[in-house]
Formats: sequence, C-alpha cells, structure tokens
Amino acid sequence: MAGRDITDERQFELSGTESFGESDWITGLHPMDVLLRGERLPHIWCQGCGLGTALTTFIGALQWLEKNQGWDLDKVSVVSGIGCTGRIAGYIRLDSFHTTHGRAIPFATGLKLANPELKVVVISGDGDIAGIGGNHFIHAARRNLDITVICVNNFNYGMTGGQVGPTTPHAARAVTTQYGNFEYPFNLPYLAAASGASFLARWTVIHARRLEWTLREAMMYPGYSFVEVIAPCSTSYARWNPEGRGLDPEKLRRRGLELMKHYQAIGKVAHGTHPKDAAIKVNKEGAIIEIVEGVFSDEPKPDFQTAIDEQVQIAKGRWQATQKALSERSQIPKRTDIIRRTEVQLGGFGGQGIVSAGRIIGQAATIYDKLEACFTQSYGPEARGGAAGSQVVIASDPIHHPHLIEPTNAIIMSQEAYAKYVPKLATGATLLIDDGLVTLPEERRQDLKTYGIPATQIAEELGNSRAANTVMLGLWTAIIGAVSKSAMQRSVADAVPPKTVEVNLNAFEAGFNKGLHDQGSNAV
Amino acid sequence: MQPMRSHEGLLIGEHFLLGDYAAAEGAIMAGCRFFAGYPITPATEVAERMSTRLPQVGGIYIQMEDELASMNAILGASWSGAKSMTATSGPGFSLMMENLGLGIMLETPCVLVNVQRGGPSTGLPTLVGQQDMMQARWGSHGDYEIIALSPNSPQELFDLTIRAFNLAEKFRIPVLVMTDAEVGHMTERVIIPPPEEIELIQRPLVRKGDVDPDHFRIYRDPESGDDGDVSPMAIAGEGFRFHVTGLTHDERGYPAMNAEASEWNIKRLVKKIRLHRDEIIQLEERHLEDAEIIVVSYGISARTSLWPIEQAQKEGIRIGYLRLITVWPFPEERIRALAKNIRAFVVPEINDGQILREVERCAAGQAQVIGVNRLGGDILEPQQVLSALRAAAGKPDTAEADMS
Ligand SMILES: Cc1ncc(C[n+]2csc(CCOP(=O)(O)OP(=O)(O)O)c2C)c(N)n1
Ligand code: SF4
Repeated sequence: MAGRDITDERQFELSGTESFGESDWITGLHPMDVLLRGERLPHIWCQGCGLGTALTTFIGALQWLEKNQGWDLDKVSVVSGIGCTGRIAGYIRLDSFHTTHGRAIPFATGLKLANPELKVVVISGDGDIAGIGGNHFIHAARRNLDITVICVNNFNYGMTGGQVGPTTPHAARAVTTQYGNFEYPFNLPYLAAASGASFLARWTVIHARRLEWTLREAMMYPGYSFVEVIAPCSTSYARWNPEGRGLDPEKLRRRGLELMKHYQAIGKVAHGTHPKDAAIKVNKEGAIIEIVEGVFSDEPKPDFQTAIDEQVQIAKGRWQATQKALSERSQIPKRTDIIRRTEVQLGGFGGQGIVSAGRIIGQAATIYDKLEACFTQSYGPEARGGAAGSQVVIASDPIHHPHLIEPTNAIIMSQEAYAKYVPKLATGATLLIDDGLVTLPEERRQDLKTYGIPATQIAEELGNSRAANTVMLGLWTAIIGAVSKSAMQRSVADAVPPKTVEVNLNAFEAGFNKGLHDQGSNAV
Repeated sequence: MQPMRSHEGLLIGEHFLLGDYAAAEGAIMAGCRFFAGYPITPATEVAERMSTRLPQVGGIYIQMEDELASMNAILGASWSGAKSMTATSGPGFSLMMENLGLGIMLETPCVLVNVQRGGPSTGLPTLVGQQDMMQARWGSHGDYEIIALSPNSPQELFDLTIRAFNLAEKFRIPVLVMTDAEVGHMTERVIIPPPEEIELIQRPLVRKGDVDPDHFRIYRDPESGDDGDVSPMAIAGEGFRFHVTGLTHDERGYPAMNAEASEWNIKRLVKKIRLHRDEIIQLEERHLEDAEIIVVSYGISARTSLWPIEQAQKEGIRIGYLRLITVWPFPEERIRALAKNIRAFVVPEINDGQILREVERCAAGQAQVIGVNRLGGDILEPQQVLSALRAAAGKPDTAEADMS
C-alpha cells in the first residue's frame, strides 16, 4: 500500500519560491514563537482587537502545561469554526483545524473520540459557538466529553462587519440593530451549566494572567470545560456602542484599549458565582455596566469516554453469544429441484409475528435450501393501525423484481388482512388462514384454494399463543412445498427465543401435519 | 505503521441480512471504527446495527444532535486516523451538504450512505426514491468531483460499502453510497468472505519519522509531483503540527485568498478524480455488442429493469443493459461511444429524470434518450418499463407479458 513506502524525500520536495522550513520562523526572539506560525504573520486582526491577547493567554497556558505538567503539545489539537476568532487555528503551530461556521465542536467530538489520547481544544467566536453552533454547544456539554471550549465573546459578529449576535446585549447597537437590539442575549456560562457542563469560567482579556491560569485548569479538567473570554471588538462593537463613544475611529488601538479599561473598571471577580447570577449587566442604552468574572463551577462528573469504555465489555460478551449460536448452525443439502417464482403474502396484526414469519421463510430458503429469496416488510402508513404485513419472493433463479406482482400464496391471520390482501392474490392462488380468527365471507373468490387451521388456538393449547405464526408456517410448508421442512425447522429454531424453541417446533409440527392431511382433500 | 488488522468480532459466512445491516457489516469489514449519525427512516437500521456492532469490534458509535454534527464528527474522526462513516436519507443528506464540502476541501476520507426516500422536503419517509442523485453530484457549493456508488441488493450494499472505503482512502475524499429504501429495507442472502480475502486500501499516510515536519506539505503541489495524484495525509497527534482549512488554501493548508490559489486548489480536487476515472468507474454491461436500444440505469431501477429487458429480448428487440455501479464520476466516454451506434437509450429511474440528463448530455443528439420515471413512493412497474422498451424500438405495446 501507498502508505507504507513513503520514505522517498523527493515526493515532499518543496515547490514555488519557498526555500525554508517553517521552523525558520522560530527564532527565540519572542518567547512564544515556537507556538506561532510566524510565516503567517502579520495576522488579519484589527488593531485594538482583543483576540491577540486571547491567543497569547492560550499559548501561555499551553506552554505552562508543557513545562509543568509534561504535556506533549504534539498531542494537542485546536479546532475552530469561522470568524475572526476562528482564525486562531491558523496562527497556532499545533495540529489545527479551521472547519465550517459553528461546527468546530462536532468536528472536535469526532477527533477526540477516535483518539482519546489527544487533548482537543475548541476556540471560536460567540456567533460561531452560541449562534449557528448553539445546538452543538449544548449537546457537547450534556455529553461531558473531555474537550475544552473557549468562546471569545466580543458581543457581535466581528468578521462579517458587526452584526447583532446571540450575545449582543439588549438595547446595544450593531450594524443590523441600529435602533437598539430588541432581543435578549444568552448568558453563556448559565446556558452551558444548564446543559450539563461542570467546569465554567469567564474572564475578560484584561485579566490576562487569571485567564491564563483558568485556561490551564480548563484544559487539565477531566470532562467538558467551558471558558468565556470577553474581548473588545475595536472596529465594530466599539463603533456603535456607548463604551466606544467619543473615541477616534482612526485610532483603533486606543479604542480597543479604552474598551479593555472599561471592562477592567466594571469587571467583578466573584469565583463560585451561580451561573444564573452571572448575566452581563447593561443599562437602558445597552452599555455594559457589570461583568462577573471567575471560575463559576468545577464539579467533576463521570466522563463520557469512561461510560463508552464500560459498554465495550458488555458488547463483547454479547458477540460471543452471537458467534456461538452461528457456529452451531447445522447445514442441510442444497435443494436441487427448480422452484419457480413463488410470491408469499403474509398479513395479520402487530404481535402475531407476521414479520418474523416472513423472515423465517426467507432465511430457510436462502441459508438452508440455498434458494434465492427476497423478504420485504410493510412500513409506515401501510403498517399503521396495528396492521402488519410482510412479503417473500422465493425462486431458484435470481430475483429481479423484489415486490409481489401476482402473489401465489398467502398466510392471513386477521380479518382486516383478509380484506386487504386477498383481492390482490393471483388467480388460482393458495390461501392459508387462521380460521379461528378469520371468517370467510359469503361472497368470496372461488378461484382460490383455501386451507384453514385454528393456529392461535393450537398454539394456546401447546402453551404459548405467540407460536401461532409457527403453526401457520408448518401448514404453509406442507401445502406449498417451496421450502423444505428441515430448512424451515432450522430457521424457526434460529429465530425464536431459545426457551421457546421446543414449543415452536411442536407448533410447526402441528401445522405441518394438518397440512399433509388436508392437502388435496378437504380444502375449506 | 498501521496496526495488524484484528479479525475479532468480524461477521463472516452466509446471512439473511437486511440491506441496511449489510452496509454496516461492510463498513466494519472495511475497518470502519467510527460511526456518527442521526436517526432517519429508512437509514436508521444502519445506525442501529453500528451501535451494537461497533463496540464489539472496539469501535465508537455516537448519535449526534443532527446531521450537520454527524458529518463533522466523521471528518474529525478521520483526521484522528479512523475510517469513519455516517448514514442518512434525504432531509439529513441536505444537512450534510455543508460539511460534505468541508470533507472534500480538506481531502478527508470517509463514507456517507444515503438510503434514499421520496422527496422533496420530508417527502415520503418510508418509501423509495432515487431523487438525490443530482444532489449527490452538485449538492455542496462550489466546483468539485465526487464519487458515488449505487448498489442493487443487500449483497452489493456490503460489497460497495467496502469499495467506498477503499476509494475514500485512496483518493482522500468522502465517498457516497447512494442506495435507496427498497434495497436498504430488503432482506436477502449476503455472503461475507473471510477477511483475508478482502482487499483493503489504507490512505496514503505519513507517520512520525517518515518526513521532517518542517518540510511536510499536507497538500502536495501537483505541479511538483506526479500530476493530479493524491497527497499523503498526516493525522492529528503525530507531530506534524499541520493546519487545514475550508478556506481556499495552498499546499501547506494555509489560507490563500486569490484567483491563482483557487485555480490550484480546485484543480487538485477535480484532477485526482478525473485522472483516475477508469479505475473508479465500474459498470455492469450485458448484450451491448449488437444492441439497438440500451437501458442505462442504476440501483434498484436497474435491477427491476432486468425482467422487462429479458421479455423484450424474447420479443426480438435487441436490448443492451448498462448498469452504473459507479454513478459519479459518470461514464461519459462510454455513453458517448455507445450513442453512435444505437437507436435509443432508455433510462429508468425513480425520479423525474436526473441521470437521464447526463445520458442526454453525452448522447448529444446522436441517439434518442427516453426516460422511464416514477416520482418516488414505489419501484418501477415491470410493465411500465417494458412498454417504454417497446416504444423505443418502435414496436406496438400490446400483449401483457407473463411474469413467471
Ligand atoms: C454557514 C455560514 N453562514 C455565514 C457565514 C458568514 N460568517 C463568517 S464569520 C461570521 C460571524 C462570526 O462571528 P463570531 O462567531 O462572533 O466571531 P468573530 O468574528 O466575532 O470573532 C459569519 C456570519 C459563514 N461563513 N458560514
Ligand atoms: S472585526 Fe472586531 S473582532 Fe474582528 S479582528 Fe477586528 S476588532 Fe477583532
């Protein structure tokens, strides 16, 4: 395979004008350049944007984990969605995935589940995570999968130019809420908590050191951890809202800094706050007047992976049982006579085993008699109101058309099924009924060969009314002859619960004997 | 290096198996160890089977919150090195289009089974359709090539799901298994050979130590290597510290926002498929040599055309049969060549004429193209197809033929 012999350097020769490896960017001039894709700088972010600080704290936390916890950063993957924040995946020198808008969390879910050794961190914007990706956000929290979700909240959709988002405060302005936001925002930690997340925190980027400490904790946390990072959007959010009023739009860096200062002034560090009390407060104009910060909750819950691992043992035990049953299957000689296309209609009500009876015929025909068989069952509207129907086509040759075209015989176990299916039977077809349940009407098709047996009653007498379908199968086998008796007996035994094999085989025998007796003589 | 394949938990032998289950068993045999999905009739049984079977072979089954998530989860799993799959039907297929595109753009091997039901919208949840064939080709935005296979029986659902994985791995692309409610919900004999007899292809992969991460290119420039070939992939956690993005990108996977980059990027995506068409396209052909009429069909509709074809042959009409086992890429050259010498193509399908358009495009006026259509809800009636064959041959449509 191709994967094996790829050692030929030529295959990886560089192209174009690029003559250096990426690590030429790692100069040591900056303490973080090992984890930055220097070749991609300058970044696309505006001056004064809080995202640079968010990235710095994230890298700081990773370096700390590498140094103090022995983390192998080769095993850390970063997944982002789309937006200004989403670009972080492209600037950090780790395995990094820039996915689609809102979908970072499910992508991360697959990445982590398929390789639990990885540490997977999602970092994306508030619109991405709580807007378009909101459903994924709450479900990942509910599962408590061991990933870290960092949501940078700048109160608007930055990348697309400052539209309102799911975190824009009420009454605040955005390019699409020029008269003030008439909606109410999410309180993200509260949403995550209600969804089942157990590690919850929020910091503004001005509290960079504490944010970094929390990010370390969050990444070390065994289970789903969520950190909301409040960051200024110097270009858009600051433009429209009181926090940025009076600040020179030409001086974006200053505008961002002023916003940070504002966040510092109104930030209220209160660890252990109940997330419901952590809503971001605004005044009537939509100006943000209080941001509660800190680690709100960290109560570990059983991790998702552990729950999955526990199931594996049960599943493997089940497989052993299946294998044993399969290996005990005995074979019979292949049938050599030619069976012409035989179409069987089965009908009754739910609980009578109409579907399983059809399957039993199909399995007997294919697995034991080595004929061709195609089994289908009625679904949906056709199978409503307690009605059950199934169909089998049997033949020696390949079956091109899987449906019944002209049913050559039928097993009918309810009056309703009689009314529904009997008119469709082929001329001269054979009809088998449970005559304890189906009464033949005065006016009926005279072309049919009809046989009756009180199948349900016989099954009850044998001690299990659920074996009524097996009585019918016995009758069918004797009269139709398309499938051999020994094939049918084996197939019945394969299909029914082990404890009921005996009663079912007795039921089959009862039906079969009646069939032999009736055949040719006293059709009803 | 790939770990030794474990045969523990693999189902082998002859089984009377539901089509959807056969797809699941095929996937497991192909080495699929990750499934993410969301319940939808008539594909649910694929998920159900996977949920019991995957833990038995050490794999992961997860039910996601929707099909957007399912598609993403299998992409993520693939980047962790797992062979991964999802299964859905129309409404879910629509939701998967977004990240099918991501899978194509990131060049991610994975398999998507669509057990088609009647549409549009919620349509006919329990009843058959073949109405997503064009969506399979063009459903995600932008230019790309796709691979789609169409099985006509549970046995083929098993076989083609394995083939889908092999193609996905080989070409680093999501592969579609476009089956339908009829095949997915039918139970027939499925013969599962022992694993030693099944050829499996693994993605071209670089592992730790194979190449200096500094010089590794996740998307090798086709100009510098063999044109249109597939780049070796790295998976997460191996120290390559690669970046991939759904944005238009360069060979390093870095965003590149300009027309040249777009040209380079899209050409990669289409070339790797177009240059290997002959290998990917699989057709079943019968009696094409002296045919005056050729039936072009796929999946269940091809299968149900066999009886009317035999019937028409008995009536003296020279009919050939061309079944698209691979629907996409479409066998353009084959159809073009055949069009020169025949009177008409007849295209039975359970939709308003989707693959018909492709046949028409390739026939380019050289042969007539006649659709036989049913708009979802049921398979084609043999008599309907037979009538179309007679009409195509210019014969009167009189006698009812006997099925037996
Ligand atoms: C499906 C889809 N819809 C819309 C967009 C356009 N879009 C790109 S970024 C973005 C908003 C991002 O906002 P947020 O997540 O808050 O991140 P920020 O840019 O503020 O960091 C939108 C709507 C898209 N890329 N994909
Ligand atoms: S638009 Fe806002 S969030 Fe985006 S980079 Fe500029 S300042 Fe930052």
